[in-house]
Amino acid sequence: MTVLVLLLALVVALLAVLVVGLLRSHAEILRRLHELGAGVYDEAADTAHTAGAAARATATAGGVRSPVELKTRPGVPEPRRAEGMVATDAHDISGLTPTGSAAVAGVVGAGHTTLLAFLSSGCGTCADFWRAFTDGEGTRLPGRDTRLVIVTKGHEAESASAVAALAPPGVTTIMSSDAYDAYSVPANPYFILVDGPSGRVIGEGAAASWHQVATLLGQAAADAGHDLDGSPLRRSAPDGRMTGPERAARADADLLAAGIGPGHPSLYPDTLVGGDDAAIPGWEPVPGGPADRGQGQ
Amino acid sequence: MATLSAHGLSVTPPLGWDAEIFTRALDPRIMTPFGGREAVPPIAHVANFGLPPVRGDFGGGAVELMESGAVFIALLEHDPSEAGAALFTGKGVPWPLSPDDFSPANLQRPIGGQTGCQRFFLVDGRPFCLYVVLGSHRLRAVLVPEVNGVLASLRFA
Repeated sequence: MTVLVLLLALVVALLAVLVVGLLRSHAEILRRLHELGAGVYDEAADTAHTAGAAARATATAGGVRSPVELKTRPGVPEPRRAEGMVATDAHDISGLTPTGSAAVAGVVGAGHTTLLAFLSSGCGTCADFWRAFTDGEGTRLPGRDTRLVIVTKGHEAESASAVAALAPPGVTTIMSSDAYDAYSVPANPYFILVDGPSGRVIGEGAAASWHQVATLLGQAAADAGHDLDGSPLRRSAPDGRMTGPERAARADADLLAAGIGPGHPSLYPDTLVGGDDAAIPGWEPVPGGPADRGQGQ
Repeated sequence: MATLSAHGLSVTPPLGWDAEIFTRALDPRIMTPFGGREAVPPIAHVANFGLPPVRGDFGGGAVELMESGAVFIALLEHDPSEAGAALFTGKGVPWPLSPDDFSPANLQRPIGGQTGCQRFFLVDGRPFCLYVVLGSHRLRAVLVPEVNGVLASLRFA
């Protein structure tokens, strides 16, 4: 009987230890969640959905609806905070080349997308991107006929000779602290994709490798209706003639710049222009056709 | 619009245009036919397309990229010692240009469809050469006003 009582007491003691351990583990989990800012059924979290939380994500799984601070790995800058540049105005890049020439690179109004790569000659993460653009890894750019422009801070903050040594041959490189201010660049490296015709930023971000950046901005370009596959890095003269879609895109852009869009009356003339020589003997408007309807209706 | 100023020249290209004002690096090995050192006066390039970083003074390497609506403007200053040459004497600022000033025969390097214009002139005793290439001879009436807009923004100081 005594042995039985002792065994029972031992089992109870073991169970007590187990329960205490579980309670401590549970308390530790709650403490870690609290450090992350999570609260169970936190009603105040609903108000955290307001704009401006560029670096904050909202976890909604399992009824937990609290903002969680996202952190990037060392060497990779966080996204810009509230009022980010996405879908806002872009600017041309003006500054000095590494060789000291005054230069401006047209971004707004250009007939293509421009990838602005904000790099530094000193940061370790940037070294991979300098290498990628030089070695050919970064030869596929997101967007439409995309032009790569590398931007560093100005001569007062960067070594011109170091930038000149790193600048990939054939790629426009401009040193401009004003560009950093104009685009509110948070840190190096940072990438911004600009749609030239609309003059708007369509994607931006940073990552640890060119592959990650290309994927990120490629998705942004696709969301904006551009080519997901990207375009080859333009270093020199084009390899060959334009493709059919490229010619069509150029013709559309030229017509749009002249104020001629779909349904424009000039696309449905009633008479042939060019005098008598251009007239086609016996030509008559097709009944019910555009010319017969008049004004392209 | 950004205004570029360097080497006694300034220009304000329209939004979306590329521009650069620069001088060539002096190469002491290069001598003139008269035995003097090579001069490296300033050069201004303005274009409505992306200028490749490596290009010639008259646009070699860039004009090959031009589409029909493209414009390339080069302003090359000559050595002051040439100001008295007949090439420059009595010639003032040549703009505004006219579509009739352009001809494919004026191109330094003929490229199908393109057209060009070249003028030599003096400003305050400084000799200059203006060289303009248009992507399409047929579109010169449309493109020349854009060229004149840029040239009107040029300042010599």
